[in-house]
Amino acid sequence: MDETAVAETPEVAAPSGDDWNPVERVILERRSVRKYKDRQVPENVVRRILEAGRFSPSAGNSQPWKFVVIRDREMIDEMERHVVRWCRLFRFFLDWRSSPLGRLVPWLMAQVSIRVKRNQLHPIPFGAICLIAEGKLKAFHGAPTVILILEDRRGVSRPQVDVGVCGQNMVLAAHSMGLGTCWVGFVELLKYGLKWRRKFGVEFPYRFCEAICLGYPYGRPDGMIEREVMEVDWYEDGAKRSVCQGGKDVTA
Amino acid sequence: MSLLSWRERLTIPTYDNEEYATTGRLFIDHELCNGCGVCAQICPGKAIEIRGEGREKKAYLEEVFPQCMSCNDCAAICERDAVTAAVAYDFGYYFKKLNRGEFRKPVPY
Ligand SMILES: Cc1cc2nc3c(=O)[nH]c(=O)nc-3n(C[C@H](O)[C@H](O)[C@H](O)COP(=O)(O)O)c2cc1C
Ligand code: SF4
Ligand code: SF4
Repeated sequence: MDETAVAETPEVAAPSGDDWNPVERVILERRSVRKYKDRQVPENVVRRILEAGRFSPSAGNSQPWKFVVIRDREMIDEMERHVVRWCRLFRFFLDWRSSPLGRLVPWLMAQVSIRVKRNQLHPIPFGAICLIAEGKLKAFHGAPTVILILEDRRGVSRPQVDVGVCGQNMVLAAHSMGLGTCWVGFVELLKYGLKWRRKFGVEFPYRFCEAICLGYPYGRPDGMIEREVMEVDWYEDGAKRSVCQGGKDVTA
Repeated sequence: MSLLSWRERLTIPTYDNEEYATTGRLFIDHELCNGCGVCAQICPGKAIEIRGEGREKKAYLEEVFPQCMSCNDCAAICERDAVTAAVAYDFGYYFKKLNRGEFRKPVPY
């Protein structure tokens, strides 16, 4: 093909040590927001955020998601209560530190369960289940708008990855407009019992996956923070290097 | 060399064993902290306690196995830059953290 005939993508300069560009800034300053103002997000803003989701990349362009927008205070509170009830149930059977069943039985059940559900019962969500059960932590953080992302199980390859990509697109769009968001993995608990599956019409091919809560943040939660540096393997010029991302490289 | 030994792969740690599990740890500058409590309200692990009265009201990391996930959301919201998570959580064995180092801000390479 004649190469001179195609339009070129202009290169954007990214000199070392330069200030972050606006997109990088939104990505790096985004923090999960867990306290919101009561004020509702305008409808057009939510629609713009959903557009960011609609144009997300997905395997085979399968777009394996369905959005459900909930802006009804009563309904969000009811979902919250459902999650709390199920967390209490899990804590009753699995938390050997507090269960009225004594120490041994819940401990054994926990040992079995965490081997079956290693990711869901990782110490962090396990701790969160207990905190939600005790009423100390909220699942939806009192946000005025919640966007459920249902996964279409017929998607190409790994639809859950597509849901993640799509959700993060919406999250970043929201933060670029001064909104706050938080991912809510605990929305998965709505699959237990018939009530919410009926209400949201969650049957094959759909299933609960993740949700994003959305609202105007209390205070100023966004900002750059410190994170662990990480080791990156780097292959170039026929050699392998180990790169310390975020820190000083040690040449071995 | 493998990343996890067979023993580590097969041992699922219990959540509150201080012998091998490290929680996130905070550095709180009590000179700067005024005990406003915003960090405690937004902390996803409810790992921050506000103790004391009047001018002595300050933030503290919970003493008994705080569920700090070293997310630094407290650092981001604190208007006085009084708090940072400086140690990452690591539950050991099956959940041992791999290829991570100390805490750093984003670097504009
Ligand atoms: C898929 C997913 C699910 C999450 N679920 C929850 C949740 O249920 N509750 C919560 O408070 N935070 C949840 N989070 C937010 C994480 O805790 C948060 O992203 C992490 O601590 C890093 O902090 P940052 O988002 O402020 O950078 C979730 C994040 C992701 C990506
Ligand atoms: S650490 Fe910061 S946010 Fe937390 S109580 Fe002290 S001043 Fe307030
Ligand atoms: S780093 Fe995160 S989990 Fe730890 S105390 Fe701060 S807000 Fe809480």
